[in-house]
Order: sequence, then C-alpha cells, then structure tokens
Amino acid sequence: MLLLKKSSIWIAFLIALVTLPQLFDSILAVSILNQMTIAIVFALSYNMLLGQGGMLSFGHAVYFGLGGFLSVHALLLIEYETMVFSILWIPLIGGLFGLLAGLFIGSFSTHKAGTVFAMISLGIGELIAASSLIFSSFFGGEAGISGDRTFGPLFFGIDFAQNLEIYYLAAFWVFLATLFMYLFTQTPAGRMANAVRDNPERAEFIGYSARRVRFISFCAAGMFAGIAGGLFALNYEFITEENLNAATSGRVLLMAYIGGLGYFIGPIIGAVVLTLMNSLLSNYSELWMLYLGIMFLLTVMFLPRGFAGFIMMHQVAWVRGNMKMLIKPYTLTGVPAALFALCTIALIEMSHTEEEVFHFLGLELNTASSATWIITTVIAAAAFYAVRKSLHQLSEAWDTANAIPKEERA
Amino acid sequence: MLEVLIFATLNGLVTGFLLFMLASGLTLIFSMMGVLNFAHASFYMLGAYAAYSLSLYFGFWTGLIFAPLIVGALGAVVERYGLRRVHQSGHVAELVFTFGLAFLIEEAVQFFWGRDTKNYQTPELLDFALFTLLGQEFSAYRGFMIAISIGIFIALYYVLTKSRVGIIIQAAITHPQTVANLGHNVPLIFMGVFGVGTALAGLAGVIAGPVLTTFPGMATVLGSIVFVIVVIGGLGSLAGAFIASLLIGLLQSYAIASDVGMPDLLNLLGVSFDRSHPLNDLWTISLPQIAPLLPFLLLVLVLIFRPTGLMGKREE
Amino acid sequence: MSILSLKDVQKNFGETEIIRGLSLDVAAGEKHAIIGPNGAGKSTLFHLISGRYKVSSGSIKFKQEEIQNKPPYEIARLGLARSFQVTNIFPRMNVFENIRCALFWSKGYRYSFWHLLGRQSELNDEAMHVLEQIGLKDKALYPSGELGYAQQRALELGIAIASGAELIMLDEPVAGMSHSEAQSSVELIRKITEGKTLIMVEHDMNIVFDVADRISVLVYGEIIATDKPENIRANLKVQEAYLGEVITSA
Repeated sequence: MLLLKKSSIWIAFLIALVTLPQLFDSILAVSILNQMTIAIVFALSYNMLLGQGGMLSFGHAVYFGLGGFLSVHALLLIEYETMVFSILWIPLIGGLFGLLAGLFIGSFSTHKAGTVFAMISLGIGELIAASSLIFSSFFGGEAGISGDRTFGPLFFGIDFAQNLEIYYLAAFWVFLATLFMYLFTQTPAGRMANAVRDNPERAEFIGYSARRVRFISFCAAGMFAGIAGGLFALNYEFITEENLNAATSGRVLLMAYIGGLGYFIGPIIGAVVLTLMNSLLSNYSELWMLYLGIMFLLTVMFLPRGFAGFIMMHQVAWVRGNMKMLIKPYTLTGVPAALFALCTIALIEMSHTEEEVFHFLGLELNTASSATWIITTVIAAAAFYAVRKSLHQLSEAWDTANAIPKEERA
Repeated sequence: MLEVLIFATLNGLVTGFLLFMLASGLTLIFSMMGVLNFAHASFYMLGAYAAYSLSLYFGFWTGLIFAPLIVGALGAVVERYGLRRVHQSGHVAELVFTFGLAFLIEEAVQFFWGRDTKNYQTPELLDFALFTLLGQEFSAYRGFMIAISIGIFIALYYVLTKSRVGIIIQAAITHPQTVANLGHNVPLIFMGVFGVGTALAGLAGVIAGPVLTTFPGMATVLGSIVFVIVVIGGLGSLAGAFIASLLIGLLQSYAIASDVGMPDLLNLLGVSFDRSHPLNDLWTISLPQIAPLLPFLLLVLVLIFRPTGLMGKREE
Repeated sequence: MSILSLKDVQKNFGETEIIRGLSLDVAAGEKHAIIGPNGAGKSTLFHLISGRYKVSSGSIKFKQEEIQNKPPYEIARLGLARSFQVTNIFPRMNVFENIRCALFWSKGYRYSFWHLLGRQSELNDEAMHVLEQIGLKDKALYPSGELGYAQQRALELGIAIASGAELIMLDEPVAGMSHSEAQSSVELIRKITEGKTLIMVEHDMNIVFDVADRISVLVYGEIIATDKPENIRANLKVQEAYLGEVITSA
C-alpha cells in the first residue's frame, strides 16, 4: 500500500514531465519547460548540500559550469568527429566532470561545515570564475564557447534540432536524476548526512567520520550539478563564465531556499516558481529582480523552511480535518495582504516608469496625476492596517486548528 | 626598477588602507555579534551613493559626515527588524539573510540611482599634490584616505580593548543573560554595534567612491575581497584585519606591477613550448594576469591550513 | 581480564592540569562508577577515553588496543559507546531515525549509498526493538527535538546502547530527573547493560551504590580510591576528601 502510494507520486511526476509540453506547446512554453527541468536538477543538487547535509555553499555553480563547459567541449569533439557517440550521453559527461571536481575540491573543503565551509566555497567559486576568464582557450573568455548539438549519430532518426526533442531528452535525465537523488536520501549515507547536519559531534560517536559523510554528499551534489550543466549545454548550445560565477551560485541558493530546504519537494517547487517568475515577470517588469530580493528576504525571515515548509505546516490541521477552520482567517489576512503587495508594486512601478499612463492589471493609471499616487498609497496603508488587525484572529484560529485534544496528550 | 617598487608599494598601501576601512566594520560586527555580514560591501556602496547625492546639493564634506550616519541608521533598522528575527535560527540563517540583503541592496540601488556610473568627485579642497616623488604626484586625497583609515584603526582598537563599552559588549556575546541581569539592554547594544559597523562601511564608501568609481557593481567588486581579508586576518581580530588588508593591497599591487610570468620561468628552466600547444594559456600566463586570483588563492590556503587565520582565536 | 586500561593519563589545557597521571583498570562485565566533586575532571576523563580530547601523555587501551590517538569514530567502531551529560541527539530527525543511525555501523552498512533503508527489515526490526527497550516505541515517528526532557534522556541512552557496544559509558544519565523517572531509568540501565561493561559518572549516591560493582573516586584529576562500594563507604580518605556527610545522611 505504502509502496503504491510512493510510486504513484513518481508516476505522476513522469506523466507531468511527458504531458506538459503537449499542454503548453508554444515555443516560449517549451523553452521555459527546458529551463525548468535544468533548474530542478540544479536546485535539488544544491539541497543535497545545504538542506540534507548542512553545508552552505556560495560556489555551487562551479560544478554546474564545469559540467557545462566539458559538455560543450564534448559537443565540439562530436562535431569534429574526434569522438562518435549520441548526444544523449552528454549529461553523463557533465555529471562525470562535476563528480571529479567534487572529489578534488571536496577532499579539502569538507573538513568543517558552517562558516568555514561557506567561506571556502566562496573562495573557490571566485577562484575558478576568475581563472576561467584567464584560460580563454578552454573557457572562451567573456564570450564563452559554443557547440552544435545536431551532429553525432542519430537517435532513432532524431537529430535533436528541435527544442521539443531536447526537452524529452532532458526530461528523461531529469526523471532519472531526481529519482536517484531521492533514493540517495533513503540510504545509510543519505541518512547520516542528515545526522551530521543535525549534530556532527554525536555522529562521530556512533562510528561515522563527519568529514567523510559530508564528502560523500558533496561529491554527489557536484555530480548532479554537473548533469544539470550538461543539460544546460545541450539546451543552449553555449556556455560562458556567467554560468559558473557567484551570481549563478547565488541564484541556486535562492531557488532552493525559497522552495524549502530539507524537504525533497522544496527545491522542485522553488525551481518551478522562480523559472516561471523569471521568464514571465521579466517581460513585464525590469524590476523583477528587486521583487525577487524582497521575496527572498521575507522567506528567510518568516518562512525559514520555504514554500514546502509552509505547506507541510498544515499537516496536523489536515490530518485532524481542521483545514476548514483556517479558510476564513486565511482569507481575512490573505486578501488585504495581496492587495497591499499589489499596491506597493504599483507604486514602485509607477515611480520607475517614464510613461504617463501605466498599465497595471488591466487598469490605466495616470502617473502624472497626484490623485493616482494618493489613492494607491491610501489603499496600501489601509490594506497594511487590515493585515495587522487580522493577524490576531489568524494566530488564534491556527492554535485551535492545531490544538492537541487533552486525551491525546501523553 | 626601484622606481617601480616604490610606486607599487605606495599604491599597495593606499589600497590596503582603503580595504581596511571596509574590513574594520565587518570585523567589529563579527567580533561583537558573531555575525558574518555578507551585505557589508553593500552598505559601503550605499554610503558612496548617499554621499554622492548629498554632495550634489551640499558638497563633499556634508556627505562625509551625514552619509555614514544615514547608512548606520539603516543598518540599525535592518538589525532591529530583520537580523534579530533570524538570529535564533543560527549562524547559517544569518549568513543567508545577509546574502539576501546584499542581493536586495544591489537591486534597490539600481532602482533609486539607475545603472550608470555616477560622477562622484573628490573635493576641490584636497585637489593638490601632497608631495612629488620621482616625478609622480601623490595626491592629498590619498593622504586623507590613509589618515582616516589609521584613525579608524586607533579609535576602534581603543574602544574594543580599553573602554568600558567594549568590555560590556564583549561580555554580551558570551553571557547575554548575565549582562542583561546587570541592567544592560543587550538587544540595544547589538543594534548599536550593527549600526556602527555599517556606518563604518558607509564611511569607506564615501571615501572610496570618488577613487574607485561609484556604480552598482562596486559592492560585488570588493564584497568578496573584504571577506578574504577578515578570514585571512582571523575572524574578529582587528589587528589581523589591519595586517591582512595591507598584505592583500601590497600583494595585488606588486603582482600587477611585476613583469614576470610563466615564459620567464620556463626560459630559466630551459624549457620551451610551441604557441599552438593546447595548454598555451598556462605556459604564457603572467603574474599581472593572475593578480585578481591571488587573494582567493590565499583565502583557500589559509582556510585549509590555518582556519583561524593569522591572528584569530575564535573557532567557528 | 581488563577491557579498559588507563596508564598515567595526563591532560592539560594550556597551563592547567585537569587530569594528573591517572591509572585505572576496568574489568570486562564490571559496572564501574566514577564519583567526585564538581570540577574533579569526570567529564574530561570521559572525553579522553571516547576520543573527543587527545591525552597530553599516557596511554589508554581498550581491548588491548591503544586508542589514545584515535578519533572518536574509530573508537566507537571498536565497541565503545557513550552518552552525554547534556542531551546530544539528532534533533531534526525523528526518534526512529535517531536509533537507526546509531545502528548503521555495527550492522555493517558503513558509508553505503546503495542499500535502500526501507528494505533492510532486520535493521528496522532491531531499531524498533531498541525503541521498545527504552520505552519510546509509540513515539517512533515523533520529531526527537520536540520530545520532553525525560524522553530525550531515554533517547540519548538509546543512541548509546543501540549498537550493542561491549563498553558503555554514561555521563550522568539521570541528572535533572524526578525521583520516579530516575528509578525507571536505573531499571532500564540495569536491563540494557546486562552482560556488558558499564562506566558511569553519577552524582546521585543512592544510584551509584545501587548499581556499581566498584567505585572510583576522582578528586582534582587523581583517583584517590578504587574499591567495592562498601569499602568506599568505609574509606576514611574518601570521606575526608569528598563524601563525608553524604554517606551519613543517606
């Protein structure tokens, strides 16, 4: 029964991977789906470090980037017929080099977790990003290097010229990578990674070297990041220094954190949401990175376990059938909160735009008239006040919904 | 040759003193609160921008005084409403929070001031040559930077080790409960420390802005370097940060001024390589080229072989 | 036949000598208690034996093997398990996982990333068995960080004994417990250390005299006496140095 329940999630995941490009088949949609699959693998690999293993890394893009660079070089070798194999296997090349980089760097950086590890990862990230600009015959300097994925032997008559074809190739690897990353959490090494995260000292007294446990997670994370890099190389057919520098490392941290560290599903949610926001919002607003920054800080402060953690918070209420009790209080707080957010966004956008009429949610706002400004500000303030007033009843409702009846307390 | 050496030393010292201004606030915050402030260089950038805006209307000197105050107040607000909430979740959460803050400040700066470089100038008052050495002028502004930096070092050193305030603060890190029982407002102390630390970053920004150009990437340029300095110097050690700042400044300056590279080394060894060799980049690399790498190389080596840094005592 | 043997062990922290040339032999199967006033070095001694601290000089042999330079995990693998004075568990994992992790090494899983835990029924049964012993079976899926104090202490004990180590070291196992909680903990300790060697630091003299076969008295980093409980009670030197009133009033 449990097995059926577990495998049904995987079947649903597989079905989603297969059917999504059929439901959303525009060029833009397929391109977004491609980015999403890459981001899922990358964010999950980051979670192996921080969420499962307690290692805060500011340089995880190194493994992604190195995997990507080696993959593009592999594409070039295929193009010049130095090697002959189907590009289907390219992600494995990325994974292999991600793993090798992890083996080397992990051998000296996993001695400690916490601040020391974070600083080493930062230093190595900067070191490799800067080196990549110096060694331009391999990394191609600022312009990066590019290849062509249509060479190599055909795979059942497919040459992978279309984005959709690459999507299915990526989906295959994403499914495998996700499955293996999940299975890793179900092994002794994966469980000990949690134990070392929680309490490295005690782990040593039950027979495990904390360093060795971290090293294993670190190498695995490097390998899966490399696979994601290989998928990136296949999708875009080029790669640059930007893909292994600190900005990319920061983005994967944001993704995994907002989605929810510690829960396996968290980084997947983060990857999906952030990719969607990136692709859709960036069309509407130049300022979406600003909103992303605000969203990230709010998450760190109020939802330290991310979206996934927020969902999981409701487990108790759900099991007790108390979810109904939360609908009203959530609406009472949620609606003004959403209104406040929208008004704030409108104010920010209006102060940024140079046009006289600002289109927002179907409204035409006249940015020249002070009435627009005053009204929006007043609504924002009122909404903020309503949120503050309603927080009390929300927390009361929350307590009743999650209360443990006396007879169960023991 | 001697000329090159002298100018490299001078340049290195100026860079070093400038880096120390930035590192001092970070060290202060770490030694007092145990928080590694990832957004420190972002406060430095805010200082430069605030001073630029102020200088447009009131001139450089007003900016010099008020910009650090504004930045410090902002820092205090961030501590009170953000950092304090995250504090209970541990050091990793704090580091992640300040990382997000750095991200946000960079975006906010672009929102308020735009993406272009600002024409932020040194004051006319200091627009003369302090002295002329071997035909090169050493500007009074650079002398001013060094003086401020040394002033910060002395003042902080005194406050941290000799004054009563410093002792109370130090006690507040290890025994917050006891210090609170003695009637001191511990949260207020922490807020003040963070405010002062970020104000120092702001001051560094005011002073460095005209020299290193004021643009939205200026935090990223120095952000990692300043981390390198506090880690190499030993987290929380002011003297260590001072030495490490000068060390990094000189190291980079000498590397840039030097004219040696792999080809010289290979010539010395009597080895030669074809230009078309696949590792050509490696055989032709020169010291000035890898100058930006050196601090990070040093950082990694220090963390591996001496995680406490040059003068650090605190583990973790 | 002694299972653990310390010879002239010294430990300094900077200038301060904490353990000053200490020798001790513990026989296999013995229940040995270490008592002494606060600051005598009892916890330091535990840390030295279990590898958390390195000795400044002297030797420690466990089952005839020198262990004084080994890291904690190698010592643990030889069959020496310990608990901590301050609860030291894996707070974000559930109770069952805490115990299962403590079983991995002794069950030969090492750093395996190819065994799926759901399929290791022998391991899982063993973990449940340990939970039953320590009375936490119905809390198996409960987050361990949210357990009550006494239950966390029981889990602390469970992690120490799960691996079936031959030598078990308990650092103040009943500290902070109510009388009845302490009583049931003692029963538990007696039950799970049957046929094994036990070294225990404890302040509660009733429990010490109840459980121990032999007692060592540690004062200022030196053992001033090691003997059977009744002889320790009678030992004048011990009474002078430390016990005095405790005995007469008990």
